[in-house]
Amino acid sequence: MTRILLIEDDIETAEAIVAELAERSFEVQWAPNGIEGLDHARTSHPDAMIVDRMLPGMDGLTVVEALRNDQIRTPVLVLSALGAVDDRVRGLRMGGDDYLTKPFAIVELVARIEALLRRPTENRETVLVAGPLELDLIERTARRGEREIDLLPREFRLLEYMMRRSDQLLTRAMLLEEVWNYKFVPATTNLIDVHMGRLRHKVDAPGDVQLIHNVRGSGFILRGRQ
Amino acid sequence: MRQMQFIRSNTFLWALAVAATLALFVVGLFAFVYRELDDYLIARSDRMITTQIHFMAGLPRDRRARAVADQLEQDSRHVHYAGLFSARGARLAGNIDRVPSGFDLDGTVQGVRLDPLETAAGRSPIVRTVGRRLDDGDVLVLGRHVDETREISSVVGQALALGVLPAFCLCVLAGAWLSVRAQKRVEEVNQRVQRIVAGELRERLPEGNADDPFARLARIVNGMLDEMETMINALAGVGNDIAHDLRTPLTRARLALERGRTHATTLAQLQEVTDKAIAGIDQSLAIVTALLRLTEIENNRRTAGFGNVALDEILREVCDVYEPIAEDKGIALGVVIDRGVQVWGDRDLLFEAIANLVDNAVKFTPAGGRVKLELKSDDRTALVGVSDTGPGINEQEREAVLRRFYRSDKIRNTPGVGLGLSLVAAIVKLHGFRLIIGPAPGGRVEILACTARESAARRMPISDVGSGKREVDVMATRDALDAGTCRMSETEFRGVTPSLVACASASLLKPVSRFEMWEC
Repeated sequence: MTRILLIEDDIETAEAIVAELAERSFEVQWAPNGIEGLDHARTSHPDAMIVDRMLPGMDGLTVVEALRNDQIRTPVLVLSALGAVDDRVRGLRMGGDDYLTKPFAIVELVARIEALLRRPTENRETVLVAGPLELDLIERTARRGEREIDLLPREFRLLEYMMRRSDQLLTRAMLLEEVWNYKFVPATTNLIDVHMGRLRHKVDAPGDVQLIHNVRGSGFILRGRQ
Repeated sequence: MRQMQFIRSNTFLWALAVAATLALFVVGLFAFVYRELDDYLIARSDRMITTQIHFMAGLPRDRRARAVADQLEQDSRHVHYAGLFSARGARLAGNIDRVPSGFDLDGTVQGVRLDPLETAAGRSPIVRTVGRRLDDGDVLVLGRHVDETREISSVVGQALALGVLPAFCLCVLAGAWLSVRAQKRVEEVNQRVQRIVAGELRERLPEGNADDPFARLARIVNGMLDEMETMINALAGVGNDIAHDLRTPLTRARLALERGRTHATTLAQLQEVTDKAIAGIDQSLAIVTALLRLTEIENNRRTAGFGNVALDEILREVCDVYEPIAEDKGIALGVVIDRGVQVWGDRDLLFEAIANLVDNAVKFTPAGGRVKLELKSDDRTALVGVSDTGPGINEQEREAVLRRFYRSDKIRNTPGVGLGLSLVAAIVKLHGFRLIIGPAPGGRVEILACTARESAARRMPISDVGSGKREVDVMATRDALDAGTCRMSETEFRGVTPSLVACASASLLKPVSRFEMWEC
């Protein structure tokens, strides 16, 4: 069972997160302040941590920094009410692996935790495979079974990101940040959907088994395992 | 306490210092006059006795004693001394007892202590005296006591007492008066300022009619207060706008939830209601996020994230992102790049600004239209233009679109937060670039930037950025440019928007000064 340490001082938020993660069969340990949290992180070695940035006693980023100084590499998702780009950059620089601004949708949190837990390993493979899909990173070609898929560079980039994280829920915000490198929320809200629509149109030809799935209200999944 | 304050006040201390200096100066002047006068009187008296002794020496011997006696007789003020002595020193005539010892009988005038014959207090004054040994061996001594000196010194002393003391007192009094007056005005200003601080924004400082520095200062401060009052009112307006814009989606969410609670009978119905409510809340959050972002950019004076940014790359990327969306809407999106150009700026922010412009253009252009992204440049300037075949922004709305939450009535029903252009304006302003909104019909918005090479050549220390006294509005209209009505010298830009200083074409634009009064 995957164990997650949550350091969050607001009891209601913490309860909601704990309940939601427990439903998805995570084992969650909760610490209401930084000092306790750091203690748990050092002794019980969780698989991932969710750390609120502003904590009584010891600031969330200080906790992360202390862990990193001890060479503890547990992936950390920083939660914060500070949404400015500068705050985010600081949060990531001090050892956070991902940064989520409050208020957030619970699916967003879960998707990001999953992503952290299943971070693609640094491999040198040049061909990505997900189900019938094959992506040649050197030739820059894609094929589904026998069928050659003709992709634009931006579509190739998107598919590559999704194949590296196949069978994971990818939220719109994650895609915007990681694929398009957006540091802001675009005014057009369906930006990602339009791009995804294009890609899906090419990947899932009529009659094919659908690989790219739209998860209503949350994001997209590339299902490699059927 | 108050008295101490008044004595310690600057005005009073200055008055005191001036009074003291004046008194010293006057005393010095009097001393000088006294000395000069004294010297003159002595010289005159010396000439007189020299003439006399010549005259007497020329008299026959028998008449000398008589002449000496006459001289003494006529002297009513008893300032003359005379003595005629035989060759052996015996007194023949006059009121001097004996020839003073060590006295040169060569006809030069000297100050000597004489021994008078009959003396009142037995004192022997120092007298200007001349002596000569005559041809027949007799010795003639004439002296004159210059007693006017004492009179002069007493007159001078009196004049000093009559002149300097009142003048000094007058000075001190004037100083005290000025000091009290200044303090009174400061106190009045303080009271009014306290009222302003307490929130009474309409309060102003007393200006008075006089053209003294105090009144001018008051006028300057009042001008500033006018400006600030306008700005605060505008901000309050923005607050109202925010409240209003937040209220709309929140109302929808609330209504949906309320209806769902009463009417939903199945889980599906309840979920539908909840989705609606979440959408409403998400829109409110989007507004808050956009607003915070705007504030973040507007307050960001740091240029730490600045570097050389290739504008052509940004344009291609933006085009890449929006191409499918435009295509879906049946709009042709094209990018025309003259040649690659680099500017000095924050890559992410410039991307955000251009993406926002394209987003707007795509949103407001009807199907079948065109949106064109352009990049033109020369050695000094770069111009990013986003034009479309949509309705454009008409004259009356041009200023308003930069206001937060401004949404034209025509587009009330288009989704969006209404902060897009203000955000672009804020980013453009941060870079010291210029936002130009073209005339309708057809939308056209341009960002006039300055090339990286040009800004590197003229770059100012970062600490100077934004410290300029003049706030420059980033908006200028294309018409005004074409008409050539707005023109401004480069020097006036300096210290405000350093990167603009460099741009030849930018210097033709008219910045609208918000604090005119600092110019004087």
